This record gives sequence, structure tokens and C-alpha cells, in this order.
Amino acid sequence: MSLRSFLLSSPIFLGVFLFQEGFVTQLRLPAGGINLLLVVALIWSALSTPEIGALTGFGAGIAMDLSQTSPGPLGHWTLVLIAACYTIAFLGYGDDNIRGNPINIVLLTTIGVVASQIVYLILGLMLGQQIGSLGNIFFLLAGSAFWTAIISPLILKVISYLHSSIFGTRTRL
Amino acid sequence: MRYGGDNRGRLLIIVLVVTTLFLITLDLRGVQVISGLRTGTQTALTPVQRAGSWVVSPFRNFLSDVTHLGRTRNQIEKLKSENDKLRLTLQNRKVADAQLTQLKSVLNLAGTAGYKVVNAKVISQGSSTSFTQTITIDAGTSSGIHTNMTVLSGYGLVGVVKYAYTSSALVQLASDPAFRIGARVAGTQQIGILSGQGTRKGVLQLLDNTTTIHKGDALLARGSDNGRPFVPGVPIGEVTGVDNSPGSVTQTADVKFYSNFSTLGVVAVVVSGASADPRDSLVPAKPRPTPIPTVTVYATPGAVAPSPTATK
Repeated sequence: MSLRSFLLSSPIFLGVFLFQEGFVTQLRLPAGGINLLLVVALIWSALSTPEIGALTGFGAGIAMDLSQTSPGPLGHWTLVLIAACYTIAFLGYGDDNIRGNPINIVLLTTIGVVASQIVYLILGLMLGQQIGSLGNIFFLLAGSAFWTAIISPLILKVISYLHSSIFGTRTRL
Repeated sequence: MRYGGDNRGRLLIIVLVVTTLFLITLDLRGVQVISGLRTGTQTALTPVQRAGSWVVSPFRNFLSDVTHLGRTRNQIEKLKSENDKLRLTLQNRKVADAQLTQLKSVLNLAGTAGYKVVNAKVISQGSSTSFTQTITIDAGTSSGIHTNMTVLSGYGLVGVVKYAYTSSALVQLASDPAFRIGARVAGTQQIGILSGQGTRKGVLQLLDNTTTIHKGDALLARGSDNGRPFVPGVPIGEVTGVDNSPGSVTQTADVKFYSNFSTLGVVAVVVSGASADPRDSLVPAKPRPTPIPTVTVYATPGAVAPSPTATK
């Protein structure tokens, strides 16, 4: 049942991936912009069970790895997102203080985005990638946090609606 | 009730992580199927990105105008006085003119050096989320573009083609932290290695510690075998600061790239280098101060009429 529901959600993520690659990257937003797929995956996980969170991280991670702008090997983002989405789903599962409060979900997502990028960076270093100056890294991380905090509340309602349509109404905000 | 986890859940996590590690291993070992997946994805995404570039263009122009509000204020006042139709026409024309100016300057640069180039439009700028600096251009292998080719703007070096697809190519910008290029100082011919830092500034590490480098020195590409990945003589940037620490093994300098990577619209890919090294002929001329004409009026008490004297 859960796997079938998860498969039903794949067109949503495909759409978000196409929107990210085709449109969001064109906007050239200041401070590094936003990765919509990452934000949607984390919000989706925050509303799901840990197993679905991990599967969501796997699917979204594969999509992000297939992006032309991903410098690492295929699986780099996947590994990070499996951990991030599972953790977020685990933190929120069964705790209505987190799942029932949109502010907590936005906060959790923003922290999740920054934490994912830091883990991605550390993993990249271990795989021999160049990461640039510390100042630039802090600037991009701050930019990501800013854009995530701006965009998450705007899309939370839509994602919550789509999530409840697929997985049932219990998690709807 | 808090989630405690069960065997099925743990098994799923283990399967996913093992699958991911398997994928990473395959990719690092250079398995063709994995690189084929990325090429296929990019080929499928290119039409979407072209459409996106066309749709997003007005919003991007708007964002650009907001960023450069001070510079465009006069232009906005002028546009306000015109009707909607003219405003739309002017906006479309503005984009075309900017691209034409960039195209002219890049062709001038390539023509002076004798490079054979293929021009391309920038259709996407890579997300910085992955801490890389890349752009995507709308020309690929079908236009003769292959990996490891130099990419220029009208001001100088932009980067190098990292991946070439059928009708698009991914360009690694010179500002990318993983970017390295052999550079020489125009005039003195000292050589060093320039690396990107994620911003418009790079760091030059000189190979010989006994030589000296000065603020304002121009840097040019040394060039590679058969002109790939870098053709010789391409202007890279200007030295903005020198680190003369007495204890350092090698001398380093901060370099500001000539190209502004955030405003790239049209670029040129060098498909064939010049028959002879252009040496220092591509070094951009220093800006000359424009003389301001002034008029001095000498008032002499008792004179019939003052006579103005023009001086320069």
C-alpha cells in the first residue's frame, strides 16, 4: 500500500525536477538561489513515515544526481538525501507538535536543507572534490536557508494537500 | 507513539544505502551506463530548458533591473513615458541588443587572436547548491563542440567545456573551485597556476618564488597541447593584490577575472586555436581618462565685455 502510494508520488517529483531544471535555474536568484526539489523532498518526508521518507530521499537524490549541475558521482546526493529525509521523517513521526505545526515543519525543512548541504560538502571532500573558499560556502548556505524559509511556507499547503491525497488525510495540515 | 523502527524498515534503509554506495562505486569506476544516464537526462532536459529560458526571460530581466536599480533608473523613467506596446518591444530589443554587443565583442576578441569559434547562447546557469559554478549553452556536439574546449566572452576566459551533449554543453566556469589553469603574466612572462575560488576572484600561485608580480598585471592563458583544454593567449584577469609573506614557499596573488560570470548572455567556444601564439596581443587596453572640456571666464573690472577662453 505504502509502496504503491509512493509510486503515485513520483510524477509530482518528476514535475518538480523539470520545473527546477527548466525554470528555477533560469531565474538566477541572488545568493545561490534555491533547490526546489530538495525543499519539496524534505517537506514531503516531514509528513511521511520514516520508510517513505527514506524512499523519497532515494528518488529525489537520484533526480538531483542526474542533474547536469551535480559535480559528484551518481549517488552522492542520494546518500545524503536518504539520511536527511529519513531523519526528518523519524523526528516528525508520531509527534503532533512537529507535524501538526506548519512553523515547525518550515523550521525543520530549513535546518534540513542546510544540514544536507553541509553533509554533501563533507562527503564531497571525502570523494576528492574542491569546495572553494569558506566565505563563499557560508554565503551560499545562508542564501539557501533564506530562500528555503521564504519558499517553504508558500508551497507547504500545496504539498500537504498532495500528500494527503496520496497517503490519506491524517497528515494534512 | 514515537517510531521505534522494525526489521522491515531497517532492511529497507540498508537496501537503499547499499544501492547508493553501489551506484557511487560504479560511477567512480567510469561505467558507461551511468554516464549514459546523465547524457540521456540532459538531452531530454534541453528542450525544457530552452522553453524555460524563453518564458523566464522577462522575470530575469526584472530581477536584473531590481539588482541594478540605480543604473537603470533613468531608463525606467523613459520607459514609463511610452505605451505598453512600445515598452514590450523595447524590452525584447534590449535583450537582443545586449546579446549583440556581447557577440560583437567576443567575435572581436576571437578575430584578433585568429581563433575559430562557435557562438552559443547561455540557456541555463547551474545551481550553486552543489557548490559548483557552471552554465549550459545551446550548442553541442552537432555544432562541433566537444569536451575540453576553451570558452570565451568578449572580455576573456569564461571556462572550459566539461560535458558536451548533442545540442547543448555544460561549461565549467573559471570561478569554479575545481577550476585550474596555467597562466602567465603579460610582459614579464612569469608563469603560475590560477585556481577559482567560487567568486569572481581567483588565486594565482607563482611557480618561481624569485620573480615578482605587481598589482595591475594582466594574466593570459599559457595554453595546452593542441589548444585543449586551453588555447594560448586568452586574457584571464588582472592582479588585484599580492601576498608577499616572507615565510611563504611560493608567492600568491589575488586575481579579478575580466569576465563577469553573472551577466553572461552569449559566449564563444574555441573549436580551433590560432596557427601562431597571439602572445600579448589580447591584453585589454587600460582605460584612458576622458578629458572634460571646461570654460574659464576671467572678469576684468572696467573691461567692456569678458572674453571666454576654452581650455582642455
